[in-house]
Amino acid sequence: MTVDSRPLSRRNLVAALIADYVPILLAILVVVLPLAYLVLSSFKTPADVVTQRLVVLPDPWHPGNYSDAARIVPFARLFVNSAVVTVVGAGIKVLLAVFTAYALVFVRFPGRKYVFWAVLATLMVPPQVSVVPNFVFISGLGGQDTYWGIILPGLATGFGTFLLRQAFLTLPTDVIDAAEVDGAGHWRRLWHMVVPMAAPSIATVALVNIVFEWNDYLWPLVIVSDPEMMTLPVGLTLLQNSENSASAYGIVMAGTVMVLLPVLVVFAALQRHIVTGLTQGGVKG
Amino acid sequence: MVAEIKRSPATSPPEVSASTASSRARRGRRRRARREAAIFLAFAVPNLALIVLFTYRPLFLNMYYSTLDWTLGAPTARPVGLANYVEFFRSSEAGEVFLTTAVFTLSTVLLSMALGLLVALGLNRKVRGAGLARATVFSPFVLSGVGVGLAWQYIFDPTVGALGAVLRSFGVDSPQWFNNETLSLIMVVLVYVWKNLGYAAVIYLAGLQAISSDVLEAAAIDGANARRKFFSVVFPLLSPTTFFLLVTSTLSSLQAFDLIRVMTPLGRGTTTLIYDAYLRAFGGYNQAGYSAMLSTVLFVLLVILTLLQLVFLEKRVHYR
Amino acid sequence: MSQSDPAESSRELSRRGFLGLAAAGLSATALSACTGPSTSTDNGGGDAAKLDFTGVKPAGEITFWSSNPGASQEVTQQIIDAFHASQSDIKVQLVTAGSNYEDIAQKFQAAQAGGKLPDLVVLSDVWWFRYYLQDSIIPLDTLFTALDWDTSDYRDQLLTDYKYGGSIWAVPWARSTPLFYWNKAHWQAAGLPDRAPKTWDEFAEWAPKLKSANAGTQNAFQLPALAGYAGWSFQNVLWGRGGSWSAKDSFDITCDKPEAVAALQFLADAVYKNKWSGVAGKDSTNDLSAGAVSATVGSTGSLVGILKVAKFDVGAGFLPGGPAATSPVCPTGGAGVGIPKKIKPENQLAAATFIKFLTTPENTLKFAQATGYMPVRKSADPSSLIAKAPQAKVAIDQLAVTRNQDWARVFLPGADQEMANACAAILTKNGDVQSELSNLKAKLEGIYSSQVKPHLR
Repeated sequence: MTVDSRPLSRRNLVAALIADYVPILLAILVVVLPLAYLVLSSFKTPADVVTQRLVVLPDPWHPGNYSDAARIVPFARLFVNSAVVTVVGAGIKVLLAVFTAYALVFVRFPGRKYVFWAVLATLMVPPQVSVVPNFVFISGLGGQDTYWGIILPGLATGFGTFLLRQAFLTLPTDVIDAAEVDGAGHWRRLWHMVVPMAAPSIATVALVNIVFEWNDYLWPLVIVSDPEMMTLPVGLTLLQNSENSASAYGIVMAGTVMVLLPVLVVFAALQRHIVTGLTQGGVKG
Repeated sequence: MVAEIKRSPATSPPEVSASTASSRARRGRRRRARREAAIFLAFAVPNLALIVLFTYRPLFLNMYYSTLDWTLGAPTARPVGLANYVEFFRSSEAGEVFLTTAVFTLSTVLLSMALGLLVALGLNRKVRGAGLARATVFSPFVLSGVGVGLAWQYIFDPTVGALGAVLRSFGVDSPQWFNNETLSLIMVVLVYVWKNLGYAAVIYLAGLQAISSDVLEAAAIDGANARRKFFSVVFPLLSPTTFFLLVTSTLSSLQAFDLIRVMTPLGRGTTTLIYDAYLRAFGGYNQAGYSAMLSTVLFVLLVILTLLQLVFLEKRVHYR
Repeated sequence: MSQSDPAESSRELSRRGFLGLAAAGLSATALSACTGPSTSTDNGGGDAAKLDFTGVKPAGEITFWSSNPGASQEVTQQIIDAFHASQSDIKVQLVTAGSNYEDIAQKFQAAQAGGKLPDLVVLSDVWWFRYYLQDSIIPLDTLFTALDWDTSDYRDQLLTDYKYGGSIWAVPWARSTPLFYWNKAHWQAAGLPDRAPKTWDEFAEWAPKLKSANAGTQNAFQLPALAGYAGWSFQNVLWGRGGSWSAKDSFDITCDKPEAVAALQFLADAVYKNKWSGVAGKDSTNDLSAGAVSATVGSTGSLVGILKVAKFDVGAGFLPGGPAATSPVCPTGGAGVGIPKKIKPENQLAAATFIKFLTTPENTLKFAQATGYMPVRKSADPSSLIAKAPQAKVAIDQLAVTRNQDWARVFLPGADQEMANACAAILTKNGDVQSELSNLKAKLEGIYSSQVKPHLR
């Protein structure tokens, strides 16, 4: 796999460079090319879209797709909706997970093993399976087209609880026990010891939840009919127009860029944490 | 389940040997146990109630709904017993849906794992840019499936898409990705793999980096060539990672929805169990009872799959 | 588990804890009981006679759900602005609630279960009847009277599309017919007369010339994308050969009769045997505009879009006929606007007031100009329209030779999708025509007996 450490002759150096960098370049290209094409296409005029030729660079550049997209769909409003749903949803989920995981690890309770299994088992139940009953339930409570209706059914968190439980189990018990002897109650132990010590894991769970809430599609799709309450992924599909799909591609690409870009920026800034977090929590992919 | 892979640099908490159970504070145990239990409930019940309400309750309600002839939104429904099940399993649809689900799941899981491993091997180098490459390869995984589906849909468009244009320049007509059911499925599988292989790659990378260099050097001294070294040393050492990926990727593959809905809204060729359940309830068929039946079938399938995995898990992987 | 549980834990406690959990679970089930469907046989059918708008004051603000057919958002907003300028009592909010009729229908359906309903909604030809069956839209006749709204000026073919049980259930708005579009440059290169073919057989003769004269094209002809179009535009081919999806004005399914089989076989041969036609993957009018094909069939609603992007002269003509009939062989189509039932009478009245304005001769013309859809009023003078795009005249002229669609397509819920599936099996998988159409018939009859017959009032 790696090139061995013989003297650096020129030929060896070239071979090493090729062996090291070709796979890296290839991997990057496969990911970046389609995304770059997406961004370029978002500036195409309909004439550049409706053609059999391969048009890479728009001619002329047509930023009008962005204003068109924003006119067809109230993007600012959708952005706010997505932000509210993501922040509130992910925030509550993390809190619930912290409390439950703490209880599972540090509070003595006769049946906690069974409780843990009940939580763990939810990882095997895809949320899609629950859509119809939850739709009926939330609709019956008047939750269609409301923030709480979008957020509530997704709050139950088996994944975060499981992850944090595993993390809490690795914390130094003797320190926490010592605090208990010193008279620190569960509340204090939770906030002053466990949370600070497990902060990286908690941040990870938070990030994972943020990404999933932001991208979540099925539930917001079915529970929202009022466009004012749609989240970004749901609103994005409104840009396609059935009878003028050609000219719509440019506009759709512009909208797509607006939805993907914030996530890419956040990802670029926090990639190390997100990668770590998501690789731990892939169960919900 | 994740124990093997969890030890990644950013979060690795200090390793601690099993604590010596504290033997103090034996007095007033009863009173304390009561208080502990109260605290346990206070901490855990909100989450548990939500889990019961929104995860477990729907499973049972689905079983009830699956015996109804019912349109979503209609206040009344007609009980039909097991007619929905009979209709599904008698029609050719059942076979098609199971086949599509199986093909989609197997091919996405195996392809993204195989390619992920390849990418991980390629990136497992201590050179400048490896970190950037890791992040780049991973990035599609965090993107909205809707956005990704729309972007690729344009690329795949047989007339105005980039792929068709490139093929035409080689004198080949664009495949009819949206008309031919097999090609539709292939298209969605390809995009799904593009979006998800970074996940497998990063996990494999972590697995590779956890293999100590001593082991590899020992193998090298034994005169093993690269391929032998990989198959007889590296791959077996990765088996917990492989197993973990198999479990998690299968679960997420079975849940695939966004790409299918965006790229092939009618689901011709791409109607998996999950997508069929969506179409029946929300997609113009007005068959919510039938949809609940499909969800129930999927759930039973998952239970069977999970039990199989548990049996396998007990045998193969140490689980605490 | 990090520590072993204390062996001597209190039994009483654990039991209480689990009783609590169990109670939570039980109350959850109880809650569900109030929100699930009831299985009692009460039909709760609405009574049209109860609609009475005397003394009702129109609501001040209403919502209009549209999928903006034919990229019509801008022109619709202009008409709304004009409405606001003409009066100050009612404000209309236009919302894009979906990207196509099916999206809108799904949203409208879901909102019935307790969501926020619009006050008026776009209803496509294949969806309005379903809402009639489900009792979720109202008949508009009393509103016509209440608003002193003379409907005799609406084009009869278009208005009667929404007539069932003696009432009108929607008002025509974005109405279209399929048109035969062609690339005039390709026609010229092949030395063909500058017109649409009179019959499909004539086109079959032209096709080889088109193909050989225009090397860069993929196909001489492109069948429209089957979803949404197969059930609709193939009625033309069926009627031309004396077939149909269902017998005229009845639910008698005829899609497996020899005439229908011959019609679909003709299309299958065009694709597989004679190879002059392809099937569009996404949008056949794009394929035409991009120069990939020489001709196609598309909605009049695509007209303005095609003219905007095509870099060649676009021809538009009547749909070709067949050996059995050359006229009328063109179905009407498109969408109207309707009013939901479960909203306040004030809102229904306000919505109707706006629909009346939306479809005035002046506004229907404005709409037609921006999109290519047809003016729905007899008194709308199309001359300005024709001056701008001569092709528009064809659409209006063709209206005189349209035929109302087969009930099997427009009145059977989900039938359009089944037709598209059957045609896909025939035209993209080379399936056996007779057996696919026999299957289709069984499916359509199943839909009729389970979803339509029990609800007919």
